[in-house]
Amino acid sequence: MAEIDRRDFLKLVGAGAGAAAAAGCSDKVEKLIPYVVQPEEITPGVPVYYASTCLECPARCGLHVKTREGRPIKLEGNPDHPVNRGKLCARGQAGIGRTYHPDRFTGPMRRGADGTLQPVSWADAVAELAAEIGRAPQKTFLLGGEVGPTLSDLIERFVRATGIAGRTVYEPFAPEALREATRSLFGVASVPVFDLSAAELIVDFGSDFLESGASPTEHARQLAQARDVQSHAGGGARLVAVGPRLSMSVSNADEWIPARPGSEGILALALARVAIEKGAGAGEHQALLGGLLAGFDAASAAAKVGVPAETIVRLGSALARSGRAVALPPGVALTSRRAVHTTAAVLLLNHVLGAIGRDVKVPAAAEGHPASFRETLALIEAMEAGRVGVLMIHDANPVYSIPESAGFAEALGQVKLVVSFSSIPDETTERAHLVLPDHTPLESWGDAQARPGVRSLVQPSVRPLFDTQALGDTLLAVGRALLGEARAAELPAGSFRSVVEAAWAGDDFRAALQRGGRFGELPAQPPSLAPGGLDLEVVAPKLTGEGSHVLVAFPHGFLYDGRGANLPWLQEIPDSVSKIAWTSWVEISPKSAEGLGVEDGDVVAVETSAGRIELQAFVRGGLRDDVVAIPIGQGHRVGRWSSRAGDGLPGEARGANVMDALTASVDEAGGRAWLTENASLSATGASRRLPLLQFSDNQRGRQLGEAISLAALAEAAHGAAEGEAPAHGEPAAHVEAAPHGEPAGHGVHELRAPFDPAADAAAASPYRWGMSVDLDRCTGCGACVAACYVENNIPVVGEEEVRRVRPMSWLRIDRWVGAGEPDLSPGREHPAPSRERLGEVDVRHAPMMCQQCGSAPCEPVCPVIATYHNEEGLNGMAYNRCIGTRYCANNCSYKVRRFNYFDNQLTRWPEPMRLMLNPDVTVRGQGVMEKCTFCVQRVAAARQPAKNEGRPIRDGEVQTACQQACPTSAIQFGNLRDPQSRVSRDAAGQRSYYALHALNTRPAVSYLAKVQRGPVEES
Amino acid sequence: MAPPPPAMPVAEAIAPVAAQRDSKINRDLLSVMGRPTLGYLAVLGAALFFMHLAGAVWIYQVYEGLGIAGYTHPLFWGVYIVTFVFWVGIAHAGTLISAILYLFRAKWRNAINRGAEAMTVFAVLTAAQFLGIHVGRIWKSYFILPYPNQRGLWVNFKSPLMWDTFAISTYATISIVFFYIGLIPDLAIARDRATGWRKLFYTALALGWQGTNRQWKAHSRSVLHLSGLATPLVLSVHSVVSWDFAMSIVPGWHATIFAPYFVAGAIFSGFAMVLTVMIPLRRIYGLEEYITDYHFDNMSRFILLTSLIVGYAYAMEYFVAWYSGVEFEKTSFWLRAFGPYWFSTWTMIVCNTVFPQLFWFKKLRTHIPTVFVVSTLVNIGMWFERYVIIITGLSREYNPAVWGLYTPTWAELAILAGSFGFFATLFLIFIKIFPVIAISEVKELAIHEKAHGGAH
Repeated sequence: MAEIDRRDFLKLVGAGAGAAAAAGCSDKVEKLIPYVVQPEEITPGVPVYYASTCLECPARCGLHVKTREGRPIKLEGNPDHPVNRGKLCARGQAGIGRTYHPDRFTGPMRRGADGTLQPVSWADAVAELAAEIGRAPQKTFLLGGEVGPTLSDLIERFVRATGIAGRTVYEPFAPEALREATRSLFGVASVPVFDLSAAELIVDFGSDFLESGASPTEHARQLAQARDVQSHAGGGARLVAVGPRLSMSVSNADEWIPARPGSEGILALALARVAIEKGAGAGEHQALLGGLLAGFDAASAAAKVGVPAETIVRLGSALARSGRAVALPPGVALTSRRAVHTTAAVLLLNHVLGAIGRDVKVPAAAEGHPASFRETLALIEAMEAGRVGVLMIHDANPVYSIPESAGFAEALGQVKLVVSFSSIPDETTERAHLVLPDHTPLESWGDAQARPGVRSLVQPSVRPLFDTQALGDTLLAVGRALLGEARAAELPAGSFRSVVEAAWAGDDFRAALQRGGRFGELPAQPPSLAPGGLDLEVVAPKLTGEGSHVLVAFPHGFLYDGRGANLPWLQEIPDSVSKIAWTSWVEISPKSAEGLGVEDGDVVAVETSAGRIELQAFVRGGLRDDVVAIPIGQGHRVGRWSSRAGDGLPGEARGANVMDALTASVDEAGGRAWLTENASLSATGASRRLPLLQFSDNQRGRQLGEAISLAALAEAAHGAAEGEAPAHGEPAAHVEAAPHGEPAGHGVHELRAPFDPAADAAAASPYRWGMSVDLDRCTGCGACVAACYVENNIPVVGEEEVRRVRPMSWLRIDRWVGAGEPDLSPGREHPAPSRERLGEVDVRHAPMMCQQCGSAPCEPVCPVIATYHNEEGLNGMAYNRCIGTRYCANNCSYKVRRFNYFDNQLTRWPEPMRLMLNPDVTVRGQGVMEKCTFCVQRVAAARQPAKNEGRPIRDGEVQTACQQACPTSAIQFGNLRDPQSRVSRDAAGQRSYYALHALNTRPAVSYLAKVQRGPVEES
Repeated sequence: MAPPPPAMPVAEAIAPVAAQRDSKINRDLLSVMGRPTLGYLAVLGAALFFMHLAGAVWIYQVYEGLGIAGYTHPLFWGVYIVTFVFWVGIAHAGTLISAILYLFRAKWRNAINRGAEAMTVFAVLTAAQFLGIHVGRIWKSYFILPYPNQRGLWVNFKSPLMWDTFAISTYATISIVFFYIGLIPDLAIARDRATGWRKLFYTALALGWQGTNRQWKAHSRSVLHLSGLATPLVLSVHSVVSWDFAMSIVPGWHATIFAPYFVAGAIFSGFAMVLTVMIPLRRIYGLEEYITDYHFDNMSRFILLTSLIVGYAYAMEYFVAWYSGVEFEKTSFWLRAFGPYWFSTWTMIVCNTVFPQLFWFKKLRTHIPTVFVVSTLVNIGMWFERYVIIITGLSREYNPAVWGLYTPTWAELAILAGSFGFFATLFLIFIKIFPVIAISEVKELAIHEKAHGGAH
């Protein structure tokens, strides 16, 4: 890695702190340099926030970038932004790593004669590019991902002014089928926006909307709102999920229909038919019955879909009766060659249910330059034919994400000059002749459009760390060099920043900057069915190949289309469902596994018509027997974290790239199709331990992830109303009782002693800090975990250490299947066998952090009082006192303590990553225990303002990092000594229970049991 | 037993014949200290090799971090603590033989007490090192001492690890003092026969011992008092070590039976180690006349007794786990026997409770090869006992999501081997510079034997 010009950076931002960052770093002395002239807006020790926009995925959430002494140290959601309302997912949290990525290009590079990239000056690089374009503008193409409207407009102007051949927008997960289906049904080529917040019944046709859909954070919030048990007497919305595997979204459903992949459209039409028959639409859709829906009676559909006809009838009736039902179209994983018709069928179901215009808003007109895979494929053809002289690639990594069989990488060889604007090396820059690194989003000006009506600004919160240049400025420079003085006016004057300002001229720019953008309503009108729209031909898609299984490639919840793979947190946080980190895996059902004779961790070869890849098997009950599922996003060959280069194995892929087993297929309208292949499996005989971070999903009735049925909840509420409120700390006896008869963990439940959670702090203290975690709201998305990593300077330890199960996360999400029962058979295998069953869904995602026990087992055993109880009830950790006996961790019943087996503070923060360390949190050295502190630094930050104003810290004034990030507000933090605080009310609630209550550790975290709403009923 | 031979007047017993015998005892016992043979040097070389290997691995571990060991979430303790407890257990036989059997006037102890005491001291020294090897920050481990400091930092007297620190250091101190006081008369004998630098060495250590009546009186009084002090320590040290586990809430650790269970186990393993070491020593140096069937018979009886106690404790642990009805305990114990660590568990049970049953038969108790094999198996079994308790307990705790599997790494195995190397090195050097059998006590016994016709 090149040496970083840190001195320059420090001068620029005027800060010299680095104190906390380097604390304990004994081999390097860094001097504290005070401000000579203190910038007006910076007070050392006080964070400054800048509103910006997250560009990690097309959802475009609003950001508040937290900076300290000029350095962004954390990304938080913008509370005013209508998409995310102050929340931020794991991918967004990890996005900060792009700016501080140690692999970053430090300046423009040109591939030398020896094949390596050599530094070059911006002037030379721009001149070379301009000259090459000038030679043959008609042979110059721009290929790139979706960008903000202003940049997009600038690119269009650049294309027009310079006369280059064209621009192709390539976005691997662009909702092309949805756009096309909307066009064919309603005559508007736009992407509908789904609103779940008021829904009563949601049928999800495999959209994976909670992990990789159009707007996961927003949809998670809406789902939580729609089924909030506080405000909905009947338990709120029911979620029925359709899909071949128990994905994270499915795990949050009340009912799972494991339909045959590709048959979603048939199911949607069959449901529409039943719904009409049962009265949906009050007769206005009768015509459909005889027409389009004629062949979709429940019985024949059931055979094609692979679910009982009764299920279709029951669900269809429920849809008809529900006042507010909405259906979500298939996501990336189920985008087949018939995706447009399938999606149209789901939209038609929405139409029948009256959801179009109500919960499904169709923007009036298309905006911007839509992504098109067909155009991308056409570009490849042009490249192969030698019709492309210059190819400029921005915001995309096509060498990785286009299947090899499409020949993109090969065709690049025919291109004379390949230019990449990527700021971090990837597979595409490896093939580029010229790398003109863009700023990272935290260094850039720009804007973004979440959807029509919601446009937000991107503003820099730090000076560029390296000699990079915004893509807009590079294009302007190239354009001006090409056009010369005479035609310069064809491009906007000034820098890209002034272009952005000009584009926002209609608004008060400063006010918009502070707010984060312009947040209006979606300009939508209730569309009517286009006349040709009903020309649907919904059939199961044809798959290529002879294999016995259907290959389902699904977007990894954190890695998305692979762009997250070079962010270490996204690699290290285990997948929400499999709990596997750092590698890809192939999910196979127990029956398939038995047939192959493989177990977890055995390497399985997956062969399709496109190629053969080898992956470690992950055997799970929550998968159809005729399906194998592989996450998209791993298998990179470049990058410190994305490939195994950081482990000393440059060029070696992490797991396998599922793209190597896919063909570049398209749907009816040329959109990219992913569900296209049959696969055959074979055991290779090799085996390796999976880097898996959860041993068993059987909680054995130990009160770790409890659930309560609606009936029991109603009964408890009734009892409470009659004055039988349970004693403080006495959980509702109904939790996990009734339907199972005797509580599963015999000998556990009767031992629960009631206690006062407010007691365990000093008598004079006004505070006993506590937390509540609502399992009914938790979707398992992992945003809290990522936020915790970044906030608390938690090191990422890498694949080998994860394989040894030594992650450092202070907060993890345990995933339990069912109530569990004592089962004495497991234990020899690792991991324990999956308890999932096809078509059954009872998954409880239970975030587990330090419980700050009142009677903490860890405290008395520490010989040096490195862990102790403070007067506000927190279980403190004095890192510098710890000698590392690890007794506390042995004695912790929740296993939330983490030990620094290596010198993580020195080795896990390669330059310039140290610049992102939170100066409020100690960086822990080798041989020291660490754990969650309830973000005690945030409590400390709130103390002084409260003291100045002579008042106690208010409820909600302190937000822990996990709480702040949580899209569904499942985590609450506050003062248990304030009976009115949210946490006190939660703790006293009917659903409250304490994890492992029987041990009498008196935790400060109360969990609220997940509500079991049960399958959707007919009436 | 044969009828005692007619008694002999004491005066006759100490007269010229006794003098001859004395010199034979001196010669026999001090011959061990003679020029080292090639075999001796080879064994010492191997011991030194493992000791230094472990030292190198340990330095690497301090530099690199504890990650080179096999720790995993949730197994924060591993082979280092297992081996620590193992050596503390070994350290029990010496004091038991010297102090308790002294107080009970069990004369048969005389031939083995010196070796056992030496083993005690060396085993404690070996064990103590593991506390340092185990901790994450050895360079800060002095924090565990309650030294006065301006920052007002104090230690946690509630922590069993704190008790451990005191228990081990006290035990080490008493063992060393006891060992040394017993050595003084023999050091004087060695002094009288030595030349050159050895003369200087033994002169200094013998503290001017002349064998006067007054000195003998003071000596035997010291031994008596120290025995009184050491006796409760035999019981307390391993009780405290057991509380490292029993005071926690880990299923499989949290049991009231642990203190007596561990003490019995310690004596069990201590005697086994004495036998494992003394049998080859006796054979190599021809000490058959001093360490006789009689000793083996008695020690084997001890092993049988403590094996039964340990076996009872095993059974009780399972019974209580079942009888308590607590699922955590039931699961932990079930998986201990039938889970991934079944091999360790069954090794422990077979070695510690099945093989010692051979000692019900006197023939086998005095059949040296059998005694050697059984005692070695007991040593193995007792190491596994600690492995089973620590590893299976931690691997199946309260939260099944973070159950785990632990496998020791090369580093831990190297340091384990090095602990034997260290122990063996000290013992091998010991037998060359100090009489391995207490000459003065053997003489005393010989005189008594003559006087009373050997009737004991």
